Amino acid sequence: MFRPHSLLWHYLWVAPNVFLLALGYLIWKRGLHRRFPAFFAFAALSAASELAVYLADVSPSVSAGTFWRVVWVSLLVEGPLKFVLIGEIFAQVFDAYSSLARLGRQLIRGLGVVLVLAAALLAAYAPMDSVLIVSGAHVLEQTIYLVESGLLLFIFLFAGYFSLQFSRPVLGIALGLSVSACVHLATWAIIANGELPDSRRIILDFLNMGVYHACVLMWFYYLLVPEKVVAKSAVPLPENNLAVWNRELERLLQQ
Amino acid sequence: MNLAIVLVVAAVIALIFILRVTVSSSVKISADTNPANQLQPIDVEAFRNLADPAEDDYLRRRLPTSELRHVRRERLLALAVYVQIAARNAAVLIHVGQSALNSSDSRTAAAARELVSDAALLRRNAAFALVRIYVALAWPSAGIGAAPVLDGYRQLNGSAMLLGRLQNPATPVRISASL
Repeated sequence: MFRPHSLLWHYLWVAPNVFLLALGYLIWKRGLHRRFPAFFAFAALSAASELAVYLADVSPSVSAGTFWRVVWVSLLVEGPLKFVLIGEIFAQVFDAYSSLARLGRQLIRGLGVVLVLAAALLAAYAPMDSVLIVSGAHVLEQTIYLVESGLLLFIFLFAGYFSLQFSRPVLGIALGLSVSACVHLATWAIIANGELPDSRRIILDFLNMGVYHACVLMWFYYLLVPEKVVAKSAVPLPENNLAVWNRELERLLQQ
Repeated sequence: MNLAIVLVVAAVIALIFILRVTVSSSVKISADTNPANQLQPIDVEAFRNLADPAEDDYLRRRLPTSELRHVRRERLLALAVYVQIAARNAAVLIHVGQSALNSSDSRTAAAARELVSDAALLRRNAAFALVRIYVALAWPSAGIGAAPVLDGYRQLNGSAMLLGRLQNPATPVRISASL
């Protein structure tokens, strides 16, 4: 079952991307593409580029060199798209609060620079074999996932510190992207640095594809299934020493 | 292979943190029926006194160096506790404000947005102030820098009062009483 070109392998490569294209279509149909333009673009272009890589893999007329060139183009399309999407997640969570957005933007830019430098350093130490186009693609995958995971972790920690809640669709997008990025970072780090035999590598490929499939389903759930509306009563505010506090406050304000 | 191990560990830790933040935020949403009950009272006057540089100067003139160091350390530790409580209260108010953000009443929603914004600003200032306080503990000649927290706290209190009034006109400013 865990072999290249098995039925499960074909399913796990094709299905999530077809689902993602369908999600893109549904997002557009419901007008959500205006609210999440980067996610809409990610869904459409990322799925299309992955399907192009799949077709290049299964098509007997495509040479190994051409296949890896397609992989490179796909990575060069997906990489920047992911960072634009992270920018969209950041804006959705923080832009309503200008003081936080300003600080957060400064911090995330600084962190981005640090992550890119760290990724470049790690890439320099990664073993490169004679087929540069292959090992280079592995290292590029590792680099993209390292920067992506770091930025997403920052967004979650920053929002967590300020107790800010993500809206449901934003949480779904961010969570799916984070789970996918972290798992892919771990697997691509092993693939790029571990010099694994093919028999073991294929397990990691299946893990990547399975996790990505789960993330696509997560995006479906968070973006398309409506949130349960719980009727909330007004928050009962605590009884307290109002008069004392007001006197203190007024005195302070008048100073 | 060592690089791979480092990156795998980093990825696992990142994933754990991300899931933890997600789960804790969902638990908070469902578990708290009345988050405003978590607000802890703060004596603003005592806080202001501790943060006042004039008080520091006065003590510097009056006390011998060894005693001044001890007193200053105690005052800084007390100030840190106040700032931590203010930051915790701000987090609770962010929670209260966020629950009112989608209110059908536009004035309540606007007040909630302002409350969240002010509370977030206070939490940011509190984080900076705590760093400054701990630096001052380690390096006594450094400034404390807690004044922005006090200003933020005043502003936050105003926002909380406004939201309280809009949400519950009969008991207008209760939320601010426990700040």
